[in-house]
Formats: sequence, structure tokens, C-alpha cells
Amino acid sequence: MKLHEKILTHYLSCTSPVDKEGYLYKKKERNATYHRRWFVLKANLLFYQERPADRHLLGVIVLEGCAVRRVESDGRFAFSLVFEGPGLKTYRFAAVDVQTQESWVKALLSASHCYLSLLVRDLGRQYEEVKQQQSLGQPHHCSSVGALEETTSGLLPRPMDVVREGRNFSASTVLPAHSATTRAKKSPKLWPRRNALVTPLNKPAPQYSEWPLVGFDPLEDFRKIHDYYGQEVKKAREEWLRSRRAAEEQQDDGALIKLG
Amino acid sequence: MRFNEKELVFLSRQPSEMAAELGMRGPKKGDVVKKRLVKLVVNFLFYFRTDEEEPIGALLLEQCRVEREDSQSFSVAFLDEAERKYLFECDSEEQCGEWIDSIIKASYEFMRKNLIFYRTEIHRLTGKDPLEQYGISDETRFQVSNGLQLTPRDAASL
Repeated sequence: MKLHEKILTHYLSCTSPVDKEGYLYKKKERNATYHRRWFVLKANLLFYQERPADRHLLGVIVLEGCAVRRVESDGRFAFSLVFEGPGLKTYRFAAVDVQTQESWVKALLSASHCYLSLLVRDLGRQYEEVKQQQSLGQPHHCSSVGALEETTSGLLPRPMDVVREGRNFSASTVLPAHSATTRAKKSPKLWPRRNALVTPLNKPAPQYSEWPLVGFDPLEDFRKIHDYYGQEVKKAREEWLRSRRAAEEQQDDGALIKLG
Repeated sequence: MRFNEKELVFLSRQPSEMAAELGMRGPKKGDVVKKRLVKLVVNFLFYFRTDEEEPIGALLLEQCRVEREDSQSFSVAFLDEAERKYLFECDSEEQCGEWIDSIIKASYEFMRKNLIFYRTEIHRLTGKDPLEQYGISDETRFQVSNGLQLTPRDAASL
């Protein structure tokens, strides 16, 4: 298959900003040695060359349909891009320290077109909701944020961070949030619990065929993805709210629940 | 330049709403219109010989200009070379319009701009950064440019 390279290199050198660049070690499959390369991440494309000043690009990796995984091996700060599918590759990298490793893993996790697509649609929906509420003269109130938190907090698994964030919500918004997300649609339990966007770091990456279809209702998928990954977070949050409520009831009843 | 060909071919076989047999003409002088299965997947336009499994080629839909050529055809120009256009002939005016719309909206840069717009607006209207709950507020790719409140903080190039 011909990849029209000039289009890619032109895109790389055009004025839109680079998303991340830096040195990484790339493992050569054949002899398992690492070679230092200069990587440039732009959109869903990972370019690499020997040095930043080089005009000659060694290669590009199109970042669609791959899982990003941290790898604990050889004492290196290693991670890999695993393409799921018959006969597909795994690209292995190593960074010089944990910060670089973390930074790249994070950047690559949010690099795919598919990820951005779902994110844009979700934010678009939030935007419409906010505009509607504002035009109705209602201040944007937290139940919709709560609803999204319910469904979206699992995107990058950081359960306790979500609970600790200073969001102003009362116990009563938890219930409307639940109903807001369970409209007439298939229960998340019936949906195969896989997606190619959020990668559980220590579990096998999902099958590519279970990747959401392009054109399939992405909002539904997005919610399901987060329902699935947000289960633990939901539980933690509910427990925390319960304990807060219990604590509050012992104090002044009239005050709004405040955080921290 | 090396690229992950197998993985890209695999990508080209994923389901897509925008896949149709169109007449396609290359940008070079002397190129003629040929019937191709044209398929839009993420920000790539793949084109196949009808009934072949592997695409002939893949065009990255970034930094390109999509234009209507006549009622049923459109063109895509790359590299700021307005003369080097790929021409696509559709079966109807409606189909032509759909393709133009889809290709424009498929661009990563187009989507990024939308994201930044929504992020900025939601933040302006609610005081909250909608990306915070995803833990991606600091990612360079989602940053608002030109000195607004949500400016990038991390040194991405180190």
C-alpha cells in the first residue's frame, strides 16, 4: 500500500504545534537492542528520526488501534504500543527516567483520532447543555457535572483523585445523575466490556474488532466506556458521600455540603 | 520512510460510514478517472481497487483543501499545491456534499480546534475546565493558545 509520504512530512513541518517531542530509546525487533531516536508526536502520528536537526525521517507510526502499556523490565522505564490484531506489531520504547516515561505514556494515551473524536462529542454535548441552562436563566448547576463525573471519571484511572477534587455537590445530585445517565438504552453490562481507548495497564488490551465502530453512536460508547471504568470510582464516591452525609447530619442541618 | 503498513491496512478494513465507489483521478498530468472504492477512516482516505482487500493507497487528510468542482464532484489538494488535486466523482450532488463535509470534519486539526473552542467556552460559562475530570488538562495537545487562562504549563519538548 502506498502511503503518500510527502503529505505526512508536509503536515509535520507545517505551522500547527507539535504535541510532544523528545529522545526515546526504540527497541529494534530483530536484535533486541535499543537505539536512541528523536520522536515527534503530532496528532495521531508518531514520527522518528535520528536527531532533531535531521531532515531525513526514519519512520512514522500511525497511532490508531493500539494500546499503550507500561512495561516493567530490565530496570528500564519502558513502555510499548501494542497493536491488536492478527500479525500486528508491538513497538517497544524506553525512557531515561520515570517522568519522561509517564509524560510519553500520557501523551500517547490521548493521541488517537478516535479518542479525540469521542472527547469532542462529549464536550460538544456539555457545551449545548450549558448553553441551554444559561438561556433558561439557570446557573449551571452541578448535577450535569456530577453526571459526567459518574460516567467519565474512569477515563484515566485515578479513583481517589476524583473523590478528593473540590467539587461542590450535594448528596441529592447523585441520584439525578444516575437517572440522567440511564436513559432508554442497553445496559452497560450487556455490552462487551472492552474498548480500545482506555487501556487497563495490567490487563490484556482489548480485541481490535471490539473497537467502537466509526459512526456508531459515540456518546453511547463514551458513556459505556466510563460506566465500565467508573464502577470502582462510583462505589468509592458513594461510600464517601454516605460517610459525609452521616457526618453532616451530626452537625448543622441547614448548611450545604462543602468539600474540604 | 518506514511506516506501520500492516497496522494501517488493518485500520483501512475497519467499518466506516463513508465508503463508496467513486471515480477517482490522480493529480498528475495524464491521470485518468478510475473507479475506486474510497473509504474514510479516521483522518485517512483509503482507496481500493473494487473487491481488493488491501488499499492501493492512503491519503492523510491534514493540511488539505477540499473543494467542490461541479455539482457531483469534489477535489482534495495537498501541499499547498493547488494544481495537484485529486478529483473524486460522485453519483449525486447530495453524496458529493456528504463527502466534502465528512472529509473536512475528519481532520484531526479541525477536531482539535472544536475541542479547544468547547473547552474555552465551557470554562468561560461555568468557571470549570471540562478536561479536569479526565485528568488531561495539562496535555499539550488540548491547550488553548494566545494567553487565555488555560495556558500550557508543561515543557513538552524535554
